[in-house]
Amino acid sequence: MRVPRFKSWPITIRVPLLVALLMVGISTVLSQRILARLSETQSEHLKSLTGAYLDGLSTSVVPNVLREDVWEIFDSLDRAKQRYAGLNVLYSIVAKADGTILAASNPRTFRTQGTVPEELVSRLRDRDLYLDETSKRAFSRRKLVYQNLDIGSIYAEIDISGLMAERNEVLLTLIATNGGLTLVFALFGYVAVRRMVRPIEVLNDQVERLRGGDYRPISDDRLGHPDSEFGRLFRRFNVMAGSLREKEALAARLAEEEKLASLGRLTSGIAHEINNPLGGLLNAVDTLRKHGAEPDTRESALDLLQRGLQDIRDVVRSALVTYKGSSHPERLSRRDLDDLKYLVKQDISRRRLSLDWRNEIADIIPIHGGAVRQATLNLLLNACAASPLGGTVSFAARLGDGMLVISVADQGAGLPDAIRQAYEKDEPERSLKGDDRGLGVWMVKRLVAGIGGRIAVETAAGRGTLIRLDIPLRSERGMGNVA
Amino acid sequence: MKGAGERPNRSNFGGSGLDRRRFLAVGATLLAAGRSSRAQAAETVRFGLTPVFLTSDLELLESLKAYLTAQLDRPVELVQRRTYQEITALLLSEQLTAAWICGFPYVQYRDHLELVAVPVWRGKPLYQSYLIVPRDRAAQGFADLRGDIHAFSDPDSNSGYLVTRALLAEMRETPSSYFGKFFFTYGHRNVVRAVASGLAESGSVDGYVWEVMRDLEPDLTAATRILRHSEWLGFPPIACARSLRDTAMVRRLSRALYHMAADETGRRVLEMLRLDAFAPADPEIFNGIAAKYDLVKSMG
Repeated sequence: MRVPRFKSWPITIRVPLLVALLMVGISTVLSQRILARLSETQSEHLKSLTGAYLDGLSTSVVPNVLREDVWEIFDSLDRAKQRYAGLNVLYSIVAKADGTILAASNPRTFRTQGTVPEELVSRLRDRDLYLDETSKRAFSRRKLVYQNLDIGSIYAEIDISGLMAERNEVLLTLIATNGGLTLVFALFGYVAVRRMVRPIEVLNDQVERLRGGDYRPISDDRLGHPDSEFGRLFRRFNVMAGSLREKEALAARLAEEEKLASLGRLTSGIAHEINNPLGGLLNAVDTLRKHGAEPDTRESALDLLQRGLQDIRDVVRSALVTYKGSSHPERLSRRDLDDLKYLVKQDISRRRLSLDWRNEIADIIPIHGGAVRQATLNLLLNACAASPLGGTVSFAARLGDGMLVISVADQGAGLPDAIRQAYEKDEPERSLKGDDRGLGVWMVKRLVAGIGGRIAVETAAGRGTLIRLDIPLRSERGMGNVA
Repeated sequence: MKGAGERPNRSNFGGSGLDRRRFLAVGATLLAAGRSSRAQAAETVRFGLTPVFLTSDLELLESLKAYLTAQLDRPVELVQRRTYQEITALLLSEQLTAAWICGFPYVQYRDHLELVAVPVWRGKPLYQSYLIVPRDRAAQGFADLRGDIHAFSDPDSNSGYLVTRALLAEMRETPSSYFGKFFFTYGHRNVVRAVASGLAESGSVDGYVWEVMRDLEPDLTAATRILRHSEWLGFPPIACARSLRDTAMVRRLSRALYHMAADETGRRVLEMLRLDAFAPADPEIFNGIAAKYDLVKSMG
């Protein structure tokens, strides 16, 4: 599993974690300081202890070294062993200035008249105390001076494992205590900071809901005290959410109004479409009544009647499908688009326009048919209105890259910037609503956005406008429903 | 380094020994002036002790003092010095009523000293000198000790020096020529300590002291081993200056010593000393020591 980047972790985890890490860091530094100090103290302690030991010895030993009295030297070393029980002296050696051993506390290892081991001498060549922490031993030397003359030295090896054990014990205690405390503090810090930043989560949830169109305010029980920072923030947020809610409600009402306006215009168009053949149909009925006996005339009149009624039927059916919704709103057929021609026929003929219709949709596709038809119809009506008399309105529909691409083009004067931006921007200006050419812009936007589509506009002054809708097809699951 | 531990000034042989004897005699004469206070000195019995036995035992000293005080009906002062020589000098100069000395100084100053009593140990007024080595040492005989670091007790001790010195003299050797190094510990117990610790590779020690130590400090003697026993020799006696031989005090002292086994405190003292009794001494028992002294002296 890949661990997400620290920066992308929620702040409710990051801040407490940082507090915990800080605690661990402080505790580590403190422990290190304490141990270093302990080590220094131990060294000093050892130094003064060995100093006292060697000073005491040298006082009693010097006259005997001068006389080379082996027994008295040994006796001093032997007695000192018992006297300095606090210092674990492993052995001590008294040697003459030339390194010849006079006596040692353990004469079996360091024979009288032998030589002090070179290793010991070299370790203490330029110092009086040498600590070897690996072997847990300290080596010490004291020069024996009589009347400014170097008459010999005392060497001692001291077992410092007790000191080391003490240090280790302190280390373990420190680790245990600090570890425990750090854990407690870190946990406390984590919980405390977590509590402090919890309102951020609430805010985050709420903003997320807002994005999804849920404008409910933060509930009273989560608002907190009005004097706290988050209390004030939440109240401001609620005010903001409230105004957004009102704005949204306004927009919905506007869209509804536009829909009605658009419907009114369409209805008049449909009425016109129905009215046009009605004159011819009534004439045909008259002709049948007067000359119905003549087979040719009757046939021709009936033929006229049939075509006129068929035209009316097409217009009515198309209107029904568009505004009442089909039995399968989740899909769109080729014919559903082709039927739109009947709804704009009146505008086309009134302005003597030619309609360039290219529908490449082969069959049924999984898409919200109603929304696509309404949006396309609005674009077509707008294109008809924008086109000069005798101009051409082009329609194209094709599938590509999992999208349904619909283009509607006119040869009009081009779209004013305001309207173009209204199409492309997320939120069209409300001032457009009075403009005839802008009729339906608001509605088209809502319809297309509702089914996840995008609108692109290509326009230039005097060279017409092309508006393209890119609408994603529904997912496989949606397809299943369609099938 | 050979013989670095030897102290010629302490040697009892050759001219220096005679010189000292003369010195001591002169000293005694000079000190006769101090004897104007003799009457007062007679009030306090001054009894000298040498490290022939375990002088470190305070209880023993207290008991001995208590016994003598009670028997002599006088204050008793026990006088101790580090070396035999110091006690011998005090004895010869009559600053001590009597002293427990070694057979060797007695033989040396026979003409100036008189025996007061001699201890009886294991039924006889005799003891031996031991040559000891560390227990784990493989040496089989005295011949294996050549080149050793050797511990002597005291240059005026018979068992702790003279016996070994005479043994060497028989071999036409001296401590300096025979041992790698030798030193004096001024105490028989110290000789045992030196050998037990390994400081010395061999030592000359009083057999009586070693045997008593075996009871009292078995760990210490267990670390040593007897390599050689000497012949039986006169036990360190209690002696007084010949000039004081017939004084009432010395006579009372002798009687007190002979009586020791019959008294409860006395028996406790004897028990602590691991001795049977004190008895009148026959100077003959010191002939063995005298022979050794003569042998060594003849070596020059």
